[in-house]
Amino acid sequence: MSTATVAALVALGFGVMLVRRRSFAIWLLTAQSLLLGVAALAEAEGGSGLLVAGAILIVRAVALPALLALTRRRTPEPGPVAPATTVVVRLLVATVVSLVAVASVPALGLSDAAAEHGAITLLCLGIAIVIMRRPALVQVLGLLVAENGVYLLAVSVQGGLPFVIELGVLFDLALVVTVAAAFAQRIHGEIGSGDTDLLRGLRD
Amino acid sequence: MTDGALVLAILAVPVGSAALVGLMPTAAAADRFNLATSALTAALALTLAVIALAAAPGEAAHGSWYVVDAASGVFLALVAVIGLASAAVSPAYLRHAGRSWFSARRSHAWYYAAFNVFWAALLALPLADNLALAWLLIEATTAASALLVAFSGKRSALEAGWKYVVLTTLGLAIALLGIVVLFVATGGPDSGLGRVDWTALSGRAGEMPAQATLVAFVLIMVGLASKIGWAPVHNWLPDAHSEAPPPVSAMLSAALLPTVLLIAWRTKLALEPALGGTAVQEIFVGFGLASLAIAVPFLWRPLPWKRLLAYSSLEHMGILALGIGFGTPLAIAGVVLHVAGHGVAKALGFYTAIPLLRQDPSAAVAPPRGVARASAPTAAAMAVSLMSLAGLPPSPLFVSELMVLLGGMDAGLVVVSALAAVLLALGFIGLAHALIEGLLGEKRKRGTLPSSRSARAVALLGATAAVALLALTVAAYALPDSGIVEALAGRGG
Repeated sequence: MSTATVAALVALGFGVMLVRRRSFAIWLLTAQSLLLGVAALAEAEGGSGLLVAGAILIVRAVALPALLALTRRRTPEPGPVAPATTVVVRLLVATVVSLVAVASVPALGLSDAAAEHGAITLLCLGIAIVIMRRPALVQVLGLLVAENGVYLLAVSVQGGLPFVIELGVLFDLALVVTVAAAFAQRIHGEIGSGDTDLLRGLRD
Repeated sequence: MTDGALVLAILAVPVGSAALVGLMPTAAAADRFNLATSALTAALALTLAVIALAAAPGEAAHGSWYVVDAASGVFLALVAVIGLASAAVSPAYLRHAGRSWFSARRSHAWYYAAFNVFWAALLALPLADNLALAWLLIEATTAASALLVAFSGKRSALEAGWKYVVLTTLGLAIALLGIVVLFVATGGPDSGLGRVDWTALSGRAGEMPAQATLVAFVLIMVGLASKIGWAPVHNWLPDAHSEAPPPVSAMLSAALLPTVLLIAWRTKLALEPALGGTAVQEIFVGFGLASLAIAVPFLWRPLPWKRLLAYSSLEHMGILALGIGFGTPLAIAGVVLHVAGHGVAKALGFYTAIPLLRQDPSAAVAPPRGVARASAPTAAAMAVSLMSLAGLPPSPLFVSELMVLLGGMDAGLVVVSALAAVLLALGFIGLAHALIEGLLGEKRKRGTLPSSRSARAVALLGATAAVALLALTVAAYALPDSGIVEALAGRGG
């Protein structure tokens, strides 16, 4: 996969971390999934490979973002949820996390170093998004950024992963995101907001 | 019936039950339907478990995606028994559950549908003959069990369910990255799923690059740790266990955690030839000690009953990690006994929460008080559970913990064993204190006292568990020299 594509994927991940509006964050995630899906299609071999990559593209870049967009419409916020940190702090954290991740993880054995670094960066960015962003829906986007990191590594494997794994992972991902979207809606219904910071009742 | 047909039936019955329970016209009919299908599922699973355990040590029957061996036999039996018991006590919970995520009319059907999907995935896990397939099954447990955790629909349950979904999914993404790295490390021209079969992984040990394999192993372990609930990635565990309906808490603690731990164990056995014993052992011992050290201070705090049991799960997963890490036959015998003893005692503890919370609803948010005065059967069941979990003789957990610690000394890890012994002793004091405080003292004057029928049911449950625990203690004497341990210690081929 080209270095430019990987850089664009990482930049879109940074965008999800930085932007305040949920709708904009969903668009950025959609763009990331679309770019990754198209790159995977280009790398796919044979008719079955194209078919599987196409199915993954449709679910990751169309169906799941559509579900999240629908959930956003059903959970209207009076205004953007105030972030716990400023955009400068988030940018700093995302940069440090990415640099540390790339520097500390040794070679993973792929011939494509850019894909390796991109995958690790996206995984760590996804984790950072979940930790630092408060809206439930943005935390789901964090999960998807992390999953896109794993998918980036998977499509860079020579010969690809077995279809059973690719489709199984896709099924599980769709299931978990559907349940997470249901939770986001239910949480909004219960507390009138998708701000997970308001869910702090369980402490010891 | 062949192994393949049995495996298929074990999965088809709960999945079919999940699909059909919605057709039941009333909640009572759904209760009866679920109990009948659960009994059938458990009978089939136990039959396969007996076949697996009766086979010669080290003998495994491999199917297209499954393996029937000693490990699958032990864990299949555990999941079957806990699943059946949870199904049996679920009507008692649902009858007085009050509000739920779902509409009152359909809540039983939704509960049983999610319960059966969750159970089916748990039953399939010990049978998975492949690391990637095992990952898919573990991830599949998340969706159904998260809905069950948040079943009550309360704010606190939503918080617990949300944490569970987000944290375990993130953890499993890390594990999946590790599996992809491992897939690359196995190399070779064939790109089939079989590359990450347990036997294929150990068979390719000589060809796998050490560094990439180690990175893969660490990523997989960190990811699985988040689902097993090992410290320091255990944050979801106390919340989910305490907020879930009690029968589901029992499934989470007594079946889900150990079964995912089996996958970590199988990964260890498969990659040990490539990585060498030391690195692999250090990771397990590290998680084990961290879990014990984090859990013990919480066992000393005045916690609500289910939350106390949740931290006890963290402690026990730590002991199991130590036993697997030590890896000597004695430690492995301890692990097998511990998995079974913990399953019975912990499930009993969570089931006891059903009558406890009815007679004292404040026990959901505060430590129980004066239970002995309110209901002797409930108090007796709590005592059996907590004293067994604390490791008071003749609890099988006393024997299993001793085996694990002696196994650690056998492995030359005297300091680790000594440290673990001190932490276990501290944990014992915390649990004993919690039990005395909970049983004695003035009862709170709220809630509904159990009916005589309900009291008899609790007494029967407590007595059955006590007998099962004593039977396990007796069985412990034969366990170290058994074929089961020989196979699980990796000496059986």
